[in-house]
Amino acid sequence: MSGRAPAPRHPWRQRWWAWMAMGLVVLGVLLASIDTTPSRGVSDERAFALEIQLKCLQCVGESVAASQAPLAVQFREEIDSQMRQGRTDDEILAFFAQRYGQEVLLTPPSSGLGSLIWIVPVVGLAAAVVALVALFSRWRREVGARADDADRELVAEELARRGTAGDPDSNDVRGEGDRRG
Amino acid sequence: MNRALGLAGLLVGLGGCVIGIGVLLNGLRRGRPHLLKLGLAYSLVVLFGAVLSTFAMQRALITRDFSVEFVFDHGSSTTPLLFNIATMWSALEGSILLWGLILAGYIATVAWRFRGRLEDPLVAWALVTMFAVGVFFFGLMLTAANPFRGVVPPPGYDGPGPNPLLQNHILMAVHPPMLYLGYVGFTVPFAFAVAALVTGRVGEGWLVETRRWTLVAWGFLTAGIVLGAWWSYEVLGWGGYWKWDPVENASFLPWLTGTAYLHSVMVQERRGMLRVWNLSLLCATFALTILGTFLTRSGVVESVHAFSSGTVGPILLGFFAVVVAVSVGLIGWRGDQLRSPGRIDSPVSREGAFLANNVLFAAFAFVVLLGTVFPLIIEALNGERLSVGVPFFSRMTMPIGFALLTLMAVAPVLPWRKGTGEVLRDRLWWPAWGGVACLVLALVVGATGPTVLLAFGLAGFAAGSAIRQLALAARRQGWRGFVGRANGGMVVHLGTILVAVAFAASTSYIRQAEVTLAPGASSTVAGHEVTYLGSRTVERDNRVEVISQVRVDGGRVYEPRLNRYRMGGMTIGTPSVRVGPTEDVYLSVSSSPDPVTGEVTIRVIVQPLVVWLWVGGIVMVVGTVLSLFPGRRRDPTAPTSAGVTSGGARRGTEGGDRQGAEAVG
Repeated sequence: MSGRAPAPRHPWRQRWWAWMAMGLVVLGVLLASIDTTPSRGVSDERAFALEIQLKCLQCVGESVAASQAPLAVQFREEIDSQMRQGRTDDEILAFFAQRYGQEVLLTPPSSGLGSLIWIVPVVGLAAAVVALVALFSRWRREVGARADDADRELVAEELARRGTAGDPDSNDVRGEGDRRG
Repeated sequence: MNRALGLAGLLVGLGGCVIGIGVLLNGLRRGRPHLLKLGLAYSLVVLFGAVLSTFAMQRALITRDFSVEFVFDHGSSTTPLLFNIATMWSALEGSILLWGLILAGYIATVAWRFRGRLEDPLVAWALVTMFAVGVFFFGLMLTAANPFRGVVPPPGYDGPGPNPLLQNHILMAVHPPMLYLGYVGFTVPFAFAVAALVTGRVGEGWLVETRRWTLVAWGFLTAGIVLGAWWSYEVLGWGGYWKWDPVENASFLPWLTGTAYLHSVMVQERRGMLRVWNLSLLCATFALTILGTFLTRSGVVESVHAFSSGTVGPILLGFFAVVVAVSVGLIGWRGDQLRSPGRIDSPVSREGAFLANNVLFAAFAFVVLLGTVFPLIIEALNGERLSVGVPFFSRMTMPIGFALLTLMAVAPVLPWRKGTGEVLRDRLWWPAWGGVACLVLALVVGATGPTVLLAFGLAGFAAGSAIRQLALAARRQGWRGFVGRANGGMVVHLGTILVAVAFAASTSYIRQAEVTLAPGASSTVAGHEVTYLGSRTVERDNRVEVISQVRVDGGRVYEPRLNRYRMGGMTIGTPSVRVGPTEDVYLSVSSSPDPVTGEVTIRVIVQPLVVWLWVGGIVMVVGTVLSLFPGRRRDPTAPTSAGVTSGGARRGTEGGDRQGAEAVG
């Protein structure tokens, strides 16, 4: 990055403090937005958050929250009563899993064979990123053909034939005719 | 009569495909151009057959010809005309017929569009490939999924009509055809990809030929998916529009790989790179449309959309295997010719961004596919039954969505070949402040939760970037700054951002409650006063409607209904929604009025910004249409990539006025 000849048009955009200020605003807003309402206690919101994690076993592909089936109604009552007993979210979900089997939880398990569903995509994505990084570093090492003077002459000739040489916008190697001002 | 007509049409379609393949292959082998020119004629024969069959099916449905088994099972004398027409795609056999019709339409359009070049082996092989797909679908209809099977109806018989859920809303007449136009549309680029591989002309020519076809298919698929979500919201009564149902996933998978392709194809057009990858994406997209049809039409997964049926599943799975095998085989065979002539110079470049985009979309598609089939795999492995639902998909796709939004903000301002931090800082200044402004605005209007706010901020950032590109393009080119692939693509980005914001807001801030109200009583849910006024009953041809009147916030009266269908006795609700720019109030009756007290139970769901999902969908489709118009034309022989001068000074001095033109393909 040696020959950065002309000064940037908007110097302040290149200042680290300008971006730092932006980062601070973002951080501040995010911190201010943290919801401090406790997740215990009895509320419709909390009940709903639990209901959408449970499968309605009598329906096709619906959660307890979405279903009107008798079993779903019964589940909702059970959730309400457990919330009133002061149970935590995890305890309530574990209760249903114990009584109705793992199938009732719409979240796949985090242990056993079923946990592969969480692990495989993460490992796969990591592998893809590693492969890309390796590819880039290989590409960087084995530099392909370099333009020599003969190539440059060819390009210059072609550009001259097109009548673009000496044009004030001869930077426009692409021939996109992008002329400003 | 209808059966005979329909079967004749299917036979004509199948015959057209088979003979078309024979003639074209013969012409290709012996190099006879006059034989290759017959491709158009055969494609018209196939189209005629498909139209004839569709006509026969519609005639049977409209005249209630119950001697056709499909009408016997799904038709009814009481179904209104529009839904009667739509009955064709409300069940397996008819939906395959719709597929066949659309396929025949695409084949004929391709043949017509390339009528001047039919003797070109590339076009001939593409037609052969499409005819082969046609052989499969017409063959399927003549065997396992025959829509024209006969039956002897008892005297005075009346059919049950289509599934009540599917005759409840006008969108059902539009959503499946749109979706199928998208699914089937991907056959065209797939066919050209196969043709390119077979003929060995694996350069960029075939990509340019099929660019618009891919965009058209993608646009239809997008429209189909959004309409499906809208239908689900308007009909199903639980206030949701997307629940990662296997069938929704099946339509989303080709959308994801298709979207990845639309981006990475630009790298190939521009730099000749990523050839194998692009071919693989196209083949995967087409294969996923078949896999999706298998998943939804074979009954292997539980879904409201699934039509169970005996032998269709294995046949579709077999076809999927053939498609994959042929694709992999061809790509492997041509492997040596597919080596890229170029290199990506720097990860901080437009190419690098497209590559990252592709990794993310591939990961997205993988997560969705895995989540869809995982319960099947586990059950097959150890008999354990488990469920994969919304919590899994939300948790896994959210980080990918965030990364995609970030990329959407950064990628459009990146130059090809090599970008510098300086250029990025310069060009991203205003878009980044746009993101900050969104964050602050969200906080001011009372949004909570850092994750959702981060989504809003990134969305604002990405929107700022897209708007910047459009503004620069418009300043330079006037109205032409909104057409062409790069500019239309920015409009699509804006639509996607709207959808993302609406999705994040409505799923995070949904509030719902069930209230039981006597006539005249009120209740308040999430700040909205809901007053139940009373109910009335309306008798219709095919159903009894119990209409409840509910006043919201002392204003307009809304009428959520319960429909009891005479056939089958199913009761289906029709919700009523107060749509607003900031918030929807969704009313759905869950029980008929109590005979003694007159009380009804109403589910009230309040969700913010839902309407912007549909607006976003419309913007995406509009953007796709804008991309179809030719943008600024580049001299096709002009050098397409600039050398990087040492130090990147060239870029640094030019500010932000170039990149709109850079992206025009």
